[in-house]
Amino acid sequence: MSEQKKTFVVTRFDPDRDPAPRQQTYEVPVQPDWKVLDALNYIKDEIDGTLSHRWSCRMAVCGSCGMMVNGKPSLTCKDSLADYGSRVEVAPLSNFPIVRDLVVELEGFLEKLKAVKPFILKEKERALAEGTHRQSPEQLEEFRQFSYCINCMLCYAACPVVANEPEFLGPAAIALGHRYNMDSRDEGQHERNEIFRGEGTVFSCSYANECSEVCPKHVDPAAAINQAKFNAVIDWLAGFVTSRGGK
Amino acid sequence: MKHLLLKLEPLIWLLFGQGILIGTMLLTGWILVVGLLLPLGVVSPAALGYDRAHDLASSLVGRVFLLALCALPLWKGAHHVRSLSIDFGGVNRDAAVATLVYALAAAGSLAAIIAVVRL
Amino acid sequence: MARPVHPHAMAASRPGRTRTAPPQAASGWYAQPRMLRYLLFDATGILYLIAGFGVLRALWALGSGEEAWQAFLDRLHSPLYLAFHALALVCVVFVAVRFFRLFPKAQPAHIGPAKPPPQPVILAGLYAAWIGVTLVVSLILAGWIF
Repeated sequence: MSEQKKTFVVTRFDPDRDPAPRQQTYEVPVQPDWKVLDALNYIKDEIDGTLSHRWSCRMAVCGSCGMMVNGKPSLTCKDSLADYGSRVEVAPLSNFPIVRDLVVELEGFLEKLKAVKPFILKEKERALAEGTHRQSPEQLEEFRQFSYCINCMLCYAACPVVANEPEFLGPAAIALGHRYNMDSRDEGQHERNEIFRGEGTVFSCSYANECSEVCPKHVDPAAAINQAKFNAVIDWLAGFVTSRGGK
Repeated sequence: MKHLLLKLEPLIWLLFGQGILIGTMLLTGWILVVGLLLPLGVVSPAALGYDRAHDLASSLVGRVFLLALCALPLWKGAHHVRSLSIDFGGVNRDAAVATLVYALAAAGSLAAIIAVVRL
Repeated sequence: MARPVHPHAMAASRPGRTRTAPPQAASGWYAQPRMLRYLLFDATGILYLIAGFGVLRALWALGSGEEAWQAFLDRLHSPLYLAFHALALVCVVFVAVRFFRLFPKAQPAHIGPAKPPPQPVILAGLYAAWIGVTLVVSLILAGWIF
């Protein structure tokens, strides 16, 4: 078993003691098959129990362990330490307020998710007697990719617009809203398109494509957002042609 | 102003999209010939002498082409300059920057209409 | 670059129970190659504005008579104009290549009953259109057709 030491420069922040985030260095003996998360857990278990970081599934499905590793958004349970050199910088996700150490404030993100009404909207509730919805594989294919989001928020850390425009809905929220807009069972497109043209406007997206570059589940939020722009324009144009009874 | 900008965003995005798509396609040939091949002598100066140039430009196709060539890139440019301003932390000045650049594009588009009619 | 992250980026609408540190950007975010290309892409907007007004100027000269038009043609020979047009050509190619790469996946799965062609077809179509339009425009301007 070969043992190698890597230097970890980790952001620390104790809201009760530190005026601002600072960095702390740890020497960690790493195994060749480790992910970044393994090293962080080693630090917490063996070196410094005060380190706080989020993690859960260890297999890239829960979305808890997103952090900046050497300046790039990363799912720390997925990224191999072997891909990094002898010095690894671990910081909390960019663009998020920092609660403590590597833990960021989630609430802003959850509010944006809720804002797009991420559920099937029907004009009239479907009666039980009508049975289940029927959806063909072709219909499923139109939104399936966008349903794979694990809410890891790497896209928010990568997006230059999220960094600069607090109101912007952001990649995951828009992709999720678009997922429902493209779901054949949904009838809430107009409602969501109005939200997409509102304060958090999808048109703030400048198609940097960074979100899709960093997404660990290949959701391609950039595709969703730009499809959503198109749909929002069609909805806007249709609003001039049809009457919506006060909407 | 911010509210007006939000309301106009879909239209601006459409103009911007065509600015990139159609504008870029039209600009390439123009820049290549008028900007480079002509002054460098690869293309004969007679090709765009006043008589021929004016005849081409005053045809219907010519007027539409020139209008698109002038106006569409302005909308692409305006939108991207606004985006660049935001990229460097300019959200607080965004309403002002957006108004300025879109007014510029609108003024240029209007001037282009006048210019093609005047030919 | 001062203040690369807005102090209220991703803020919750109500304060949490503990004090938070303001959002940070990864240091040198603007120097990473992919981000630089994105910033350059936005920066081409400046050149497009200049190009648009340049065409306007040419249009105005053409409508002002033979002398004005000839003066415009003469100006094209200056090193400044040549340099600008060389840069502009690089610019439009850069924009086209990037935009064509991003365009196909931005088409929604359907608008009503209409579906877009497969993405590789869209990409090929874009390049074909670009080359075709450029050829036609160039040949007409150069006096080799019509």
